[in-house]
Amino acid sequence: MSHVLLQEASFSAETSGGSVRIILQPTTLELSEQRIAVIGANGSGKSTLLRLLNGLLLPSTGSVSVDGLDTRADGGAVRRQVGFVFTDPLSQLVMPTPLEDLELSLRRRVKSTTARRQEAARLLQEYGLEPLGGNSIYELSGGERQLLALATVLAVEPTLLVLDEPSTLLDLRNTRLLRSRLAGLNQQLILSTHDLELALDCSRALVMDAGQVVFDGAAADAVAHYRGMYS
Amino acid sequence: MRGHAYLVGAYCPGRSVVHRAPLWLKGLLLLAVAVACFAFPQVYLTSAVLAAVVVLHFAARLPAGRLWQPVRVMLIFLVLIAGYQYLQSGPGTAWQVVAAIMATVLASNIVTASTPIATLLDSLERAVEPLRRFGADPERFSLTVSLMLRSIPFVIGAFDDVRDAARARGLERNVRARTLPVLIGTVAYARATGEALAARGLGDPLD
Repeated sequence: MSHVLLQEASFSAETSGGSVRIILQPTTLELSEQRIAVIGANGSGKSTLLRLLNGLLLPSTGSVSVDGLDTRADGGAVRRQVGFVFTDPLSQLVMPTPLEDLELSLRRRVKSTTARRQEAARLLQEYGLEPLGGNSIYELSGGERQLLALATVLAVEPTLLVLDEPSTLLDLRNTRLLRSRLAGLNQQLILSTHDLELALDCSRALVMDAGQVVFDGAAADAVAHYRGMYS
Repeated sequence: MRGHAYLVGAYCPGRSVVHRAPLWLKGLLLLAVAVACFAFPQVYLTSAVLAAVVVLHFAARLPAGRLWQPVRVMLIFLVLIAGYQYLQSGPGTAWQVVAAIMATVLASNIVTASTPIATLLDSLERAVEPLRRFGADPERFSLTVSLMLRSIPFVIGAFDDVRDAARARGLERNVRARTLPVLIGTVAYARATGEALAARGLGDPLD
């Protein structure tokens, strides 16, 4: 299990008008549970918080570390350890076909070309995407793309998986499929979501509002708190 | 974005003799095409090379549409170059220059269309390996080249999308409206690609 530590980590960005907008207030957190959800309204800072975890964003103040590795000083090592799944799977996929994209993920781990192709084919089969291996990624459905995006990130064998609203673009059937996939993973998961059922699958949940964590506790309590904010 | 609709630079699976040829041979032939066309600028030689490249395209069983696509993308530049050369040196030189560009671009298109990206990556990595002692990172080099190839369809698609958007607002003659969004979109694409690699821990040098 990874140990994620945010120490007074904040993030701010300059607006087009030249003023500075604080997106995440200074936050101190320790994240070490197996399943953690981050819930909150749009623009509450969920994605920013998650992006800090694998160094996609660097904190404006404070620090973020994963198992003692600082995201600023050891960015490469942190990214190899923390996989990130985007909301839109098309942002995740960089090669023309599912097979090639999986092979890209496997390049560091599997050196032999033949073995890499076999492993990519095996992963496609595992995710039920085998018949689509040679198709264009644009020919896949939203659900197939999200599964592929998940497979491409897991192929590098991260110890911590961060998912930014992974079910937002999915229909009910694919959301359930994704949930069952996530439930079967051994990796530690930290995910942001608007799907409160998905949040309830987690053991701990953070509620965010206006760039800060306003509740931190058991998932059921956090969901009740979040619902209460808008009742 | 309909960059996906373009196959320029994309691999076309197949089992033709061209597909099965080793990458070094394809690279050598590509080099030979470029040298023949540009080092010996003769109308008959360049025409023969262009004809040979077209024959090779069909020998690789690539769709006829892929022959036209790269030419269509470059059409405006080819017309401008041909016009300039026609005025400066006559019709023979105009044709030779245009045919040389087409032959080289179509030949490189055959190489990328008949070679899986993984093979391309592996071969590039091996080719750059001796430079590792001078500080080169073969993995990053090959990844950069493959991503460059991958971005070609995106940029072409972005041009078409922006042209349609400009046309829908009656701005088809507005150069700014037709180029600025492509520039912004391309930068955003590059950034998104970087993030996609970072999301998988790829592209960073190994410690």
